[in-house]
Amino acid sequence: MTEAQFVALSPLILVGLAALVVMLAASFKRSNGLALGLTLAGFAASLVSLAWAAKVAPVQVTPLILIDRLALFYLGLVFLTGAAVALLGHGYFEKRAGYRDEFYMLLLMATLGAGVLVATTHFAALFIGLELLTISLYALVGYTRTEPRSLEAGLKYLVLATVSTSFLLFGVALLYAELGTMEFGKMVDLIRQGGHRETLVNGAIALVGIGIGFKLALVPLHMWTPDVYEGAPAPVTAFVATVSKGAMTAVLLRLYLLVGGAIPDSVMTLLSVIAILSMFVGNLLALLQDNVKRILAYSSIAHLGYLLVAFIAGGNFAPEAVTYYLIAYMATSLGTFGMVSVISGREREAEELRDYAGLFWRRPFEAGVFAAMLMSLAGIPLTAGFIGKFYLLAAGVDMGAWVLLGSVVINSALGLFYYLRIVASMYAAETSAKPGAAAREVALLGSATLAALALCLIWLGVFPAGLITLIRSAVLGV
Amino acid sequence: MILVWLILIPLVGGVVAGFVGSRNVSACRWISLVALALDAALAIGMISQHLGGFQYESSKVWFEEFRASWIPVLGISVHLGLDGLSSLMVLLTLFLGIIGVGASWSEIQERAGFFHFNFLWIIAGVLGVFLALDLFLFFFFWEIMLVPMYFLIGIWGHENRQYAAVKFFIFTQASGLLMLLSILALVFVHRAGTGTLTFDYSELLGTQMLPAVATWIMLGFFIAFTVKLPAFPFHPWLPDAHTEAPTAGSIVLAGILLKTGAYGLLRFTVPLFPEAARSFAPVAMTLGVIGIIYAALMAFSQSDLKRLVAYTSVSHMGFVLLGIYSFNEFALQGVVMQMICHGLSAGAQFMLVGALYERIHTRDMGKMGGLWTTAPAFGVAGMFFAMASLGLPGLGNFIAEFLILVGSFQASVPATTIAALGLVGATVYSLWFMRGAFFGPNERGWTIVDLNARELVLIAAFVIGLVWLGVYPQPVLNAVAPVVQSLEKMTQPVTAALLRS
Amino acid sequence: MWPLLVFIAAVMVVVAAQIVLSHFLGQRHRERATGEPYESGIVSEGSARLRFSATFYLVAMLFVIFDLEAVYIFSWVISFRELGWSGYFKIFVFIAILLASLVYLWRIGALEAGPPKRRLREAEVK
Repeated sequence: MTEAQFVALSPLILVGLAALVVMLAASFKRSNGLALGLTLAGFAASLVSLAWAAKVAPVQVTPLILIDRLALFYLGLVFLTGAAVALLGHGYFEKRAGYRDEFYMLLLMATLGAGVLVATTHFAALFIGLELLTISLYALVGYTRTEPRSLEAGLKYLVLATVSTSFLLFGVALLYAELGTMEFGKMVDLIRQGGHRETLVNGAIALVGIGIGFKLALVPLHMWTPDVYEGAPAPVTAFVATVSKGAMTAVLLRLYLLVGGAIPDSVMTLLSVIAILSMFVGNLLALLQDNVKRILAYSSIAHLGYLLVAFIAGGNFAPEAVTYYLIAYMATSLGTFGMVSVISGREREAEELRDYAGLFWRRPFEAGVFAAMLMSLAGIPLTAGFIGKFYLLAAGVDMGAWVLLGSVVINSALGLFYYLRIVASMYAAETSAKPGAAAREVALLGSATLAALALCLIWLGVFPAGLITLIRSAVLGV
Repeated sequence: MILVWLILIPLVGGVVAGFVGSRNVSACRWISLVALALDAALAIGMISQHLGGFQYESSKVWFEEFRASWIPVLGISVHLGLDGLSSLMVLLTLFLGIIGVGASWSEIQERAGFFHFNFLWIIAGVLGVFLALDLFLFFFFWEIMLVPMYFLIGIWGHENRQYAAVKFFIFTQASGLLMLLSILALVFVHRAGTGTLTFDYSELLGTQMLPAVATWIMLGFFIAFTVKLPAFPFHPWLPDAHTEAPTAGSIVLAGILLKTGAYGLLRFTVPLFPEAARSFAPVAMTLGVIGIIYAALMAFSQSDLKRLVAYTSVSHMGFVLLGIYSFNEFALQGVVMQMICHGLSAGAQFMLVGALYERIHTRDMGKMGGLWTTAPAFGVAGMFFAMASLGLPGLGNFIAEFLILVGSFQASVPATTIAALGLVGATVYSLWFMRGAFFGPNERGWTIVDLNARELVLIAAFVIGLVWLGVYPQPVLNAVAPVVQSLEKMTQPVTAALLRS
Repeated sequence: MWPLLVFIAAVMVVVAAQIVLSHFLGQRHRERATGEPYESGIVSEGSARLRFSATFYLVAMLFVIFDLEAVYIFSWVISFRELGWSGYFKIFVFIAILLASLVYLWRIGALEAGPPKRRLREAEVK
């Protein structure tokens, strides 16, 4: 390993090291604060080392990993999100009995897995990253062992994720058998050249697609989402909704950029159907829920449907649109699930709609932030969500994908309806709330994180130019 | 820069009022009032300077402009501009804004801070809509004014507020997205032609495109604006929103928010797509006429006072649609007059109904009657605005509707004939309103406090405005003359074609 | 090859012979205590379905975890010279990580042979 390679890899190494340090610290002194401090230090060190790595990028580290600007950009995104989840988790687990340190350890491991995913150019590394992420998530989803629902969610995630990963693995094996390589670039070249068994390769790609689609929770592979989101501890839900989906989107984006938009029409049609179904199923089912976590789960299905629209539309705007939309979605999801975790009490989580009754008057700050997050999900101006949606529509209009755009418009209206339901319940009279859900004490760190997130959302919604320039330079570097 | 201050003052005032409101309610009312008054003073100072005693200097299109870079990578800038049309709209907005704060002085007791925050942000959003000359910026403000309005209806509204607020929000949001699609389509068509990506209004004017494309893009704008206007069949949100909103909300909705739709049609739909607008005129005029008659009939069959006034709004806005798509000077002048006069008369009616509701806690006409005897000033004011609404000569509304009908007569005789029937309808529902609430025996034995000093001042302001516009409308007509003339020129062939037929 | 086959066949034959012969030659009796489990002369009580401490299972798992890693060390050893110092450093990191996790397991009490101490620690955390 050369020095440049080592430097390029240092962000990933540092996160892995942080996991180790947290583990060792936990074996001698159990302390929520200490573990959080070490975790944040680890993330901070990795983020700093990104700048260091940027100087040598792009660097190919073994055939498995490519550290280029796209990877660095997404690594930054993933690490920042991971740090925010850690901050949210601190307050959440402080209120609850049981081991806390392992949460940070698993979080770091999962983030490391996501980090490998965004930097991979090889199916072997993709699989390693995916497994690292997913296995850590099994434990994280079922982290609150005393809660039957959390355990159930963990088990459900375990079984379904394993099945989907096997699909992915089978697909990769078939591709390898036919093409004799697992590197993205070479595969794309070989497929383009032809001379292989068409059906076999297409079937293999479909199998890989199942694995990816499961992670992104696209219809019809979305069934796990509501249950897992509902059962998992709120900070973990935030992680599943953001980092795990974000990393997968990065993989998709990388493949997309490699293919260069030359995707057969039949695949495009299939993707369009999936996108439209995701939007409609997500939004329509969200209308029927009374549980905030479930509503947000279905809404996240719909949002990935929107995201897919940008991919399908293609054109110059697509990579930028995807990335901007993803950032807006990640910041917002982090905020909404973070809010659930911050205002949850000791006994149970604030997940019923009526737990939010009167929140505006009880805790105006948190409610205001939550409302801002929901508005961002709905794509109302002044928030990053609006710029994201604007970008998405711009990509669609640019390529004239009118059917998809039509469904985006219809679904935005549908989505508004349930976002407004949550907002409305926040300023409703405070009579119907069930006891036990409200937090008596304010989790300072969590609230501060959310305030920072809200500021960030509004900043990105009003002054998006800086981020757009950054995204452009990251995407064009591929 | 002064244009930026116009928008910033209410924004900042709203934030300050919101913070102060949790401790001192009356301070927050005063802050809102002062902020709006300051804004109005600024606007009047600037506009009177340029209009020079309401004589228009016709050399420049925009007599006040502001331009700053915003998102250069996408060709988006902060571009604000003021011409005769937008000055009038800005003045109307600030006038009704001040009235709105006054009208909610005693009505809003709970969470007043948040109320005034929302109220001032609506005003700021509307001002932004009237000033924006960048299409992205325009859309930005267009959407921003909806959120506080949603809260206004949803939190301080009447019994069925939740339903009304959501309906309002979804209707306007979904139609807004259609407009966004159209904006984007226009921008990309422009880019395909010229190679530059820009959202600037002045550059997008005169974009060359195929007629079919133009029609589709225009439809997006048209639907968004006619939902806001509202025109038949996009009006269902309006009766609910108006009825359930608190008084200040209704005043602002009827007085200003509806005008943003008309303004959008005048400023964007027609100038950006003159050809498409021309060929679309028959449809638009038909919708306008249907709106006039249908809403008049609906108004007549209401028992809820606020709902009645709400339907009269739809009817009056039908005239606006009819006038705009007649494409001649008379009609367009009438449209501007109608926008202002309806803003005043509907605002005043909502204020009266709101004041009445505060006293007797019902809006049901069946439970009223004979209120004139116990509150004569109320009755006189009600009578005055009912007359204004039915178009009594000497008041602004008469001038407006007369001009529109004169103009549209040149464009389409049948449409004008049917629209004129709307005036009969207006007479019927206005008198119905008076009879139901104020005349007849006072069967329920209401004894109510008459209008107090604060309310009398506000009503007087409305009365003076309407009488002035009715007797001496020339300043308004002068102010919009350049806009009207350029619109007429742009759409000239249609008038000729229609006259030939 | 064939000696092995012969050996396997011989083993089979011997084992089969033992079973078959004892069936025919062995004595049979059916007394009162024949069916009972033999507990050194003490009559057994209770059910045979006892709950065992999960520690055994844990130990088995630890074995699997740490023993599997040996595969990597073997593969390193085989190409020890080719990998040189760089390889040495990498396997060092690998073993250090294994050691760290061993320390962790030791400290959380995963290596304790019974439940009490762990329970105590859990109680402390609460």
